[in-house]
Amino acid sequence: MNNDTWEIGGKTLKSRMLIGSALYPSPANMEEAIKESEAQIVTVALRRQSAGDGGGNNFWNIIKELNIHVLPNTAGCHSAKEAITTAQMAREVFDTNWIKLEVIGDQYNLQPDPFETVKAAEILIKDGFEVFPYTTDDLVVAKRLADVGCKILMPWGSPIGSGQGLMNPSNLKAIRKQFPDLKLIVDAGIGKPSDAVEAMQLGYDGILLNSAIALAQNPIKMAQAFKYATISGRLGYEAGTMQEREFASPSTPTIGTPFWHQFK
Amino acid sequence: MIKVSINGEIKELEENLNIKEMIEALEYKQKGFAVAVNTTFVSIKAYEETIINDGDTIDILAPVQGG
Repeated sequence: MNNDTWEIGGKTLKSRMLIGSALYPSPANMEEAIKESEAQIVTVALRRQSAGDGGGNNFWNIIKELNIHVLPNTAGCHSAKEAITTAQMAREVFDTNWIKLEVIGDQYNLQPDPFETVKAAEILIKDGFEVFPYTTDDLVVAKRLADVGCKILMPWGSPIGSGQGLMNPSNLKAIRKQFPDLKLIVDAGIGKPSDAVEAMQLGYDGILLNSAIALAQNPIKMAQAFKYATISGRLGYEAGTMQEREFASPSTPTIGTPFWHQFK
Repeated sequence: MIKVSINGEIKELEENLNIKEMIEALEYKQKGFAVAVNTTFVSIKAYEETIINDGDTIDILAPVQGG
């Protein structure tokens, strides 16, 4: 039984997994996977829709019926100005002050632009947004984001959609150590449930993932796997792992060992 | 008539339409959406006072899947 709760953006949640809504084989599959994940935050986006289309209504109706918190993103933005405008539009459409701030600086690896991200974060926080900034695992960028008022940081594990897991656990650990009071979420790059366990064992408050579930052979089953992985990693962190040792040490008592088991 | 870019497509509109009138003229069917004119957000409250001008770039965004 998992009675763990945590707070983020003014909400108390049980699930520490934030799930994306893109790339699923079908809308029905997306709906089922999100339900099975038991995630309480789902990421969404805004895009141009042609006038007579109305095609986005179906998607939005499914999300609304899930009755979980919506985290709009600014995916595809390449400047602070674009991200700010997108965030303001998202606030009106989704009726939330939460924004997953993404300002991309490089099209090849979708690495966030730290300068524009910090600039946008500062303006958005002053405008009343709860900013969830997508950033790299760079400690100084994390500091700058904290300096402008971010209460949440979302460093990448590895590039978006790569499934490479945690490229640099040492950097992620340093950010955790430096910011014990901020909410930290590993966003992007998680590929396997074991990556989620590793992120949570580092003491991160949560994980955000999309491709790892949506692109699995069976997204619904993978959603379950990540649900348990997230819980397992958190429990492992809270329980405190044993100290690593240089040499083997027997776990079975050595006193009373029969003579035929003794080494010469 | 004026020419404007709406979601990347060049369209002709009557002169002096405000955003509310433009949405009606476009018969926009999406339920939830937000509007930006020349990359600046325009809130619903400002639709009637915001007049569309020749050469404006208008973005009408609606919910989609996102990661």
